[in-house]
Amino acid sequence: MAHSAHAHSQNVSRPERRRSKRPPMPENCLIEVSHVTMKFTKYEVGVDSVKELVVRALKGDLKREKFVCLRDVSFQIRQGEAVAVIGRNGVGKSTLLKIVSGILTPTEGYARFRGRISPLLKLGAGFDGNATGLENIYLNAAIMGYTKREIDEKLPEILEFAELGDFIYSPVKTYSSGMLARLGFSIAITMESEIMLIDEILAVGDSAFQKKCYARLTELRRKGLTFLIVSHGNTVRSLCDRAIWIERGSVVADGPAAEIFDRYTAALNAKGTAPAPTSAQNPPASAQPTAASTTAKDASAQPTAASTTAKDASAQPTAASATAKDARPEEK
Amino acid sequence: MEKGRTTQKLLQQGYLLRLLVRRNIKNQYYRSFIGVLWTVLNPLLNMLVMWFVFSNIFGGNMEANLPYPLYLLSGNIVFNIMRTATTTSLPCLVEQRDMLQKTRVPISLFPTANSLSSLMTFGFSFIALLVVAIGLCIAGQYSFRWSILLVVVLLPAVMLFSLGLSYFLSALYVFFRDLKHLYSVLMTLWTYLTPLFYTTSRLDNPLVTSVINLNPMYHYVTYFRTVLAGGVPSAVEHLICYGFGIILFLIGYAFMHAVRNNIAANL
Repeated sequence: MAHSAHAHSQNVSRPERRRSKRPPMPENCLIEVSHVTMKFTKYEVGVDSVKELVVRALKGDLKREKFVCLRDVSFQIRQGEAVAVIGRNGVGKSTLLKIVSGILTPTEGYARFRGRISPLLKLGAGFDGNATGLENIYLNAAIMGYTKREIDEKLPEILEFAELGDFIYSPVKTYSSGMLARLGFSIAITMESEIMLIDEILAVGDSAFQKKCYARLTELRRKGLTFLIVSHGNTVRSLCDRAIWIERGSVVADGPAAEIFDRYTAALNAKGTAPAPTSAQNPPASAQPTAASTTAKDASAQPTAASTTAKDASAQPTAASATAKDARPEEK
Repeated sequence: MEKGRTTQKLLQQGYLLRLLVRRNIKNQYYRSFIGVLWTVLNPLLNMLVMWFVFSNIFGGNMEANLPYPLYLLSGNIVFNIMRTATTTSLPCLVEQRDMLQKTRVPISLFPTANSLSSLMTFGFSFIALLVVAIGLCIAGQYSFRWSILLVVVLLPAVMLFSLGLSYFLSALYVFFRDLKHLYSVLMTLWTYLTPLFYTTSRLDNPLVTSVINLNPMYHYVTYFRTVLAGGVPSAVEHLICYGFGIILFLIGYAFMHAVRNNIAANL
């Protein structure tokens, strides 16, 4: 009941004509991304201020460039799945996330979901420093789409989980980073939206609290909540049962988490972007082209062995060459 | 069924709006020594400073339809509805970016909340104005007329105008993050182009007069003063006030709606 209500409201603002063309969402499917292509028009040089605009305009240096951020991305996530979207920085993960949560309308294709999304934000993000912890709980949950009654109901649980004691009545700007993390995490995790959106690593508080969080996340998974985790590293591996690997805006591989993570890490190491033993074998100067081509080879060799839905044949070479171009150290 | 969901959603958004407004008001005078009283005192003190400066240093003798303290105060508090709404709205989407990147929530709620809080602030300032008016009334320099009630006719027009400008600016700020500096300069110019502490009777440059006539804030301020002085503004004045308000609201909202995908991409 509640699920379908929200699913509907998510689509309300979309044009009627486009919605009617879509086939109905499969029964057990919670997130559907269908042939999403996202193109951006951007100035070739970063123009994000009036000053830059004027200076560039005077120089006659205002060329617009169209670039494709995501190319024909499709996947479906069933209820109860925990899916990691992995890929290096700047391959379009964040854009994909925005499209999935309905903030961004893609150029082609569509994305939709059923239920509500709880975003698990990075440390202290989305809080108002001057407001108290308590006020921030209400504010954050209300932005997520909860009513006062729903928040009132969950409040004791949030407070208990956050373990902030009387600090909950103090302004958030006086909090330590651990306390901030605990507060943010408690809100997202307690509201129990149908979909949990986890961005990057879960660096939450001290190790005791971290353990508690992982325990809680596992419990939520057992309850049948769906997880969508975005990461560029291995940290979330244990939480997921499926991984979607994105390179240069396309899905490279989609399959069991363990396997995809292995291949992803192997590819990263082979490229020499991360300090790894394998990179030592390659001569440093001309390493990248060869390294990239080997990745392309063994990446396209693997998927047939495992039952994955890899679309590697065309996607992989571009992905590999892209990495060679802008090699930068991987954050861990 | 359908209707129930929509109203539920609207109620939820109304709740969020209320929370945001309350947050803004609290932040404005956050933990200040005298708290809410400050919202009333602030315009009063400002008025005293301006009164001192303009009647003693610049040698006033303004021919106005109101006693000079009231003239100052009335102009400033109406102008402040727009000023506070737009300056707080300017960076509001960018400030909320962490949330807005991940959650689908109507972005117009944030500038709306800022405009509503500046309306609330006007309410507090209006109390200050009444205090001054009562004082002047006792001194025999001012008398209350029923037309003061017409302020409720003026407020929706000022609100529409402030809302439209707030929508427009908050959306634009996402793309041009240095707009803040530019806008503060523009705001200074706008303040001086509105007869807040001088009277239009002193102007003898026809160009300046015509520029001021095109300034919507001039019309709002004048409307408010006419009403305070016991007059009833003409139908044309009403048309101008609401015309500016509605047109700017539509432009602002349409702009925000048109670029909302770019906003999402750029946040």
